[in-house]
Amino acid sequence: MRTARLGWGGMAYLCRMVQRARQLSWAAASVGALMMVFTGPAVGQIAAPAAPYPAVVPDQPLQFPQDFGAHPDYRTEWWYITGWLRDEVGVERGFQLTFFRVRTRIGEDNPSRFAPRQLVLAHAAVADPATGRLRHAERAARAYPGLAEAVEGRTAVRVGDWFLAGGEAALAGYRSRIEAEDFGFELAFDPGRAPVLNGSAGFSQKAPDPLNASYYYSRPQLKVSGTLKLDGRTLAVTGHAWLDHEWSSEILPEGARGWDWIGINLHDGGSLMLFQMRDGEGRAMWAAGTLADARGEARRLRPDEVRFEPLRYWQSPRTGARYPVEWRLHLADGRILHLAPLMDDQELDSRASTGAVYWEGAVRLREASSDGQERETGQGYLEMTGYADRLRM
Amino acid sequence: MSALLGRLFLASLLRRRLATALSLLAIALGVALGLAVQLIHAAALDEFGRGMRLIAGEADLQLIGPREGFDESIYPVLALRPEVAEASPLLVVEARLPGREDSLEILGVDLFRIARVQPGLLPLASRAGDEDGRFAALQPHNVFLSAEARTRLGEPQLRSDGQSAPPAIREGMLWVQSGVRSFALQVAGELPGATGRLAVMDLGAAQQHFDRVGVLSRIDLKLAEGVSPDAARMALAPLLPPGLALRVPEAAASEVGALSRAYRVNLTMLAAIALITGGFLVFSTQLLSVARRRREFALLRALGLERRELLRGLLAEGAVVGLAGGVLGVVLGHGLAMAAFQMVGGDLGAGFFRGTRPQLHFDGMLIVGYLFLGVAAGVAGTWLPAREASRVAPARALKAGEAAHAGLPQARGRPAVGLSLLALAAMACLMPPVEGIPVGGYAAVACLLTAAVLLLPQLARALLPLLGRGQGVSWRLAHARLSATPAQAVVAGAGVIASVALASAMAIMVSSFRVSVDDWLTQVLPADLYVRASSSSGSGYLDDAALARIASVPGVASVDTTRLVNLRVSDEEPLFSVLARPVRGNWGLPLIAGSTARPAASDVPPAWISEAAADRLRIGVGDRLRLPLGGQMREFVVAGIWRDYARQHGAALIASEDYVALTGDRRINDAAIEVTPGAAVGQVAAALRAAFGAEHVTIALPGEIRAISLEIFDRTFLITYLMEAVTIMIGLFGVATTSAALATTREGEFGMLRHLGFTRSDVGRLIAMEGALTTGLGVVSGLLAGGAIAWILIEIINRQSFHWSMELAVPWAALASFAIGLVLLAALVARLAGARAMRRSAVLAVKADW
Amino acid sequence: MLSVQSLRKTLPGAPPRPLFDDLMLEVAEGECVAIVGESGTGKSTLLNCIAGLEPVDGGRIVIGGQRIDDLDDDALARLRRGAFGFVFQAFHILPHLSLVQNVALPLWLLKVAETEARVKARELLVRIGLGERADDAPHTLSGGELQRVAIARALVHAPRVVLADEPTGNLDPGRATEVLDLLLAQIREQGAAGVLVTHSRAAARRADRVLELAAGGLVDITGRA
Repeated sequence: MRTARLGWGGMAYLCRMVQRARQLSWAAASVGALMMVFTGPAVGQIAAPAAPYPAVVPDQPLQFPQDFGAHPDYRTEWWYITGWLRDEVGVERGFQLTFFRVRTRIGEDNPSRFAPRQLVLAHAAVADPATGRLRHAERAARAYPGLAEAVEGRTAVRVGDWFLAGGEAALAGYRSRIEAEDFGFELAFDPGRAPVLNGSAGFSQKAPDPLNASYYYSRPQLKVSGTLKLDGRTLAVTGHAWLDHEWSSEILPEGARGWDWIGINLHDGGSLMLFQMRDGEGRAMWAAGTLADARGEARRLRPDEVRFEPLRYWQSPRTGARYPVEWRLHLADGRILHLAPLMDDQELDSRASTGAVYWEGAVRLREASSDGQERETGQGYLEMTGYADRLRM
Repeated sequence: MSALLGRLFLASLLRRRLATALSLLAIALGVALGLAVQLIHAAALDEFGRGMRLIAGEADLQLIGPREGFDESIYPVLALRPEVAEASPLLVVEARLPGREDSLEILGVDLFRIARVQPGLLPLASRAGDEDGRFAALQPHNVFLSAEARTRLGEPQLRSDGQSAPPAIREGMLWVQSGVRSFALQVAGELPGATGRLAVMDLGAAQQHFDRVGVLSRIDLKLAEGVSPDAARMALAPLLPPGLALRVPEAAASEVGALSRAYRVNLTMLAAIALITGGFLVFSTQLLSVARRRREFALLRALGLERRELLRGLLAEGAVVGLAGGVLGVVLGHGLAMAAFQMVGGDLGAGFFRGTRPQLHFDGMLIVGYLFLGVAAGVAGTWLPAREASRVAPARALKAGEAAHAGLPQARGRPAVGLSLLALAAMACLMPPVEGIPVGGYAAVACLLTAAVLLLPQLARALLPLLGRGQGVSWRLAHARLSATPAQAVVAGAGVIASVALASAMAIMVSSFRVSVDDWLTQVLPADLYVRASSSSGSGYLDDAALARIASVPGVASVDTTRLVNLRVSDEEPLFSVLARPVRGNWGLPLIAGSTARPAASDVPPAWISEAAADRLRIGVGDRLRLPLGGQMREFVVAGIWRDYARQHGAALIASEDYVALTGDRRINDAAIEVTPGAAVGQVAAALRAAFGAEHVTIALPGEIRAISLEIFDRTFLITYLMEAVTIMIGLFGVATTSAALATTREGEFGMLRHLGFTRSDVGRLIAMEGALTTGLGVVSGLLAGGAIAWILIEIINRQSFHWSMELAVPWAALASFAIGLVLLAALVARLAGARAMRRSAVLAVKADW
Repeated sequence: MLSVQSLRKTLPGAPPRPLFDDLMLEVAEGECVAIVGESGTGKSTLLNCIAGLEPVDGGRIVIGGQRIDDLDDDALARLRRGAFGFVFQAFHILPHLSLVQNVALPLWLLKVAETEARVKARELLVRIGLGERADDAPHTLSGGELQRVAIARALVHAPRVVLADEPTGNLDPGRATEVLDLLLAQIREQGAAGVLVTHSRAAARRADRVLELAAGGLVDITGRA
């Protein structure tokens, strides 16, 4: 479901370069709009028509470790890690690391290694309550062997010296390293269990039309250990994280305005993923989720089994966008969950560089127990897009 | 003192307006020429540097190599190094524009890299609001043009053959050529941050379109924080294949500066001689003026004027003339520079900065410097006369009858000084160049000029008896006068000597050069027809298929090919040319050493190197030459040395088969075609044009190439001709002012002669003859010095600056007519200048008793 | 030999100043006339008018029967070459010519052959007593000697009229008499008509006639001076 983030972040990066003086709505920046470009008329004599993007179809079982690797024929693909880190003195911080791959359908007949057939982009962020806002950075490059690539057969994505690698076998761990101006981290992730398939055995529908779908699996409850660098200080950290791997060709439904997504590691060892797609009026067009227990047994939540209810809003002093930073989540089995942020300001405002504005932050999940007392039952990440009206790029 | 200064000294300048004006003008011209040369060059360099900075952006280091590019495999190696924060690869294509004579520099860039390294190259898609613009910069058919490129290429071009070439941009498409085929690129937007004539497109697409897959021209590096360029160079240099170098971006501009430095120093020297001639002129006029005011000064001294005050006052006169000349010169210099930009562009005709459009900048320090030079010329010219005047004993000068000729320099001459200067000149010739500038040669020229001036009295003594008496009274009087006071010839002739020496030296040098170039062209162009797809680094080329097509054209007997690539032999040296040609029997190589035969027993392939290469690399026949070819250092044995006027920085010729074996590069720049006996060259040319499309190839007859080459040659020297003309004009000013001044001091004499029955025209003739004789002596001395200077120019300055030799060819007829013309002109000038003396009433003239 | 008839000349200016009015002067061959007068009366101008160096407003100047006041400048110049000899107060000996060359100058102008000119000039130098120094440069000579050279130059081409303007003005009295005597003797010997302008009565007395220029005309004061 993170397609639009690619639109916001990665694509906007390109857009800024080619259309710096332009205002762009988030929808225009999305992959759906890009389609028109990539299939546009080939003018030069060397641009032979590229093969179409393969459709995402149900009942195509995922194979591991093969499907841990890249699927370069599909339009977009990402490996998305979010999680909580705790340093040796007990301070909790959130972090996020995403690698995107985009097939452009440009230059596929070009023998040049520089032909921009595939683009690789990466975002990283750290939510530190002491800072009060996100630190974030990004990288973008055309795929070039050894420098920027997403390989097939295992998880190995890199842009320059940023990388995520692992998934050589079903239970193999991951390693990643990123280095930005004011932060960086080098982390190892241990899954300990098989992937959780979202939707119908990994076929995840995004809208009423099954055309808008992706292949989508998650690795919840990753055990994290490593180091976190903040302003030159290196901290030993441990924690837990969540990895999403999703690939698709046609994901965003027409009329969609934005979405809300959570991925929560439950303290009991289980995991919860929920998302809703909103239309122009802010109504849910589609919603779904996956609830797994500590052994990884997953139950698929259908659209009528999930409801998002905003509780509290926070307005960004930078962009003026109002985000529902606290939510009440209604599940069909009658459970009511309360979602509260690690800190309010986890808005990712990169108007100065990529132009993307969205909210992506660490959250705590609380649930009222039988005694009526609310207690924390999980920690994870919340993502909200489509709340800032328009972007200045 | 100030009242005195104004009334006695400066007012005197106003009294002799002609002399003052001419001295001032002479200084102004010298200052203007020097300043203009410097301004033009600075502006051109500045513009070039700006272009470089734009392309280099914020790069700390640049990886450069052969102009044709290098294998891209070094790119990921560098990009992953911890010293490197960002590496931006570029492919620079000099795209040939079919049918046009200009080309377009297209930069293939990685959009993701330039944002952080060269933000000035970021493209802006033109169709804002249109979704098509989204990935415009990655689309293989899209190209982004700077405003200047868009304007220029949207216009038709007037070609040198007088025909009009179509615009390269037609209906929004840019037509370019790769090999011998043309194709269109979509003009998708502009480059808001770029100046100059430039285009940007995707690197991958550029590699594909121009058949350069796997090749980069440059990699610009932004270094990690805290890594100095020097440290990074140390760390990265061992990783580089031979022929590649890392250097700071500013080095490119300084390399171009160095390329044109010798030429610029040449021009500056010409300007300096103009300025020195101006200084001589001040000397002449001041000397005569002081002589005339001798009694005035004696009186002032008797009345109590201090010697120092007198000296200062006179120097102030010189300084004022110098300053005024300097101011005028600075204004004129800026005007000249501006005019030059309009007419010949920033390269001063030498072709170093083709395509740049420089802007004139005002540089305060430079202006002050040149003003100072003007003042210095004025003061220096006044120094001797002023010292002479301040030393005069007032009592003696005041005595009547001592009169007329005291104060004028007597025929002392300084043969000893003159001769030792000649010896010094000879020694200076032995000096090696300093940083590529033939300092010794220029010093020798300066010594020779001074010696020629100092030895003029001796020359006059030696020559005048040979001239005979003649019968005319005027001739006798002029002859007698000059024989008696040859030092006066120095006063009038110094400027003439300097300018004639310079002009004749340049004439001899240029003539020798031109004759040698002409011979050379004949030798290197033995074929009947030449086919070229584009110049060495351009995007047009011939491949095997094209050669086969050429060979199949009826009438083509044989095809010879040339591949030209430009390499870096070392980090410091500029580009070195390598020509690959089939080595056959008679192949028109103008050898000066070695032989064209392939050495029989040698383990390494042979190479024939140009004179410049031999000079720069200090190698000779039989020595080893190492060239970075195909990413490796290859060794060759020098089989011969040939004369090459085309590539100042050295060239080596190797056999095509060796080149192809070492590099795998089968492209061809030029094909030389011999037609079958009896076939009409014109028909073969037409058939070739039809085979490739006339817009894709340039087909030239050797005669045309020769004509064009010689035209370029002549254009290169045009500016030197202009500067010589100015210097000669200044020299004639000298004749004019001296004649005018002498005429006034000799009014008594002329008056007496009128009493004795001289008609006015007799007096005029006398003045003209004296002017002619003085000038004639100056011309003879100047020609002698000029011959010697020509030798220095040819054997020392050219050898050391440009590394090429030439055969001496003296343009006797031209020099003779120049000398005679100058003498006649001097006679005319003298007569015009002396007109006032002729007008003066003979009655009053004899009355004045001094 | 020299005849000046009804000469009129007015100096330009406001108001114009009449200088000569109906001035008459006759000088015979071998006769020397001295002209004296106050400063500014026009003594030198009269000489210049006679030599054709200054235009006149009326009257006639006849030399050897040829009228010269209506000739043009070049014709006058050519006339002067043969008909006149000049002696100046400031000598005007050319410094870059030797003495013999200085004396031969008028002969050069008359295109006399080189050898002949030299012989004649030497002869003259011998006559004035400087024969020994014929090839010396002028700057080795004293003022009196220079003026003797000038006299030789004035007479070398046997002119019909010799005009001398203050010939002794730059000489000390002893030298002056000597030089003047030489000049007069040479004029008489050659049978030329001599006109001598001087402000020195002593000098004037040595002439055959003394005329005083006053009120625009000449008055004979011979014997009274």
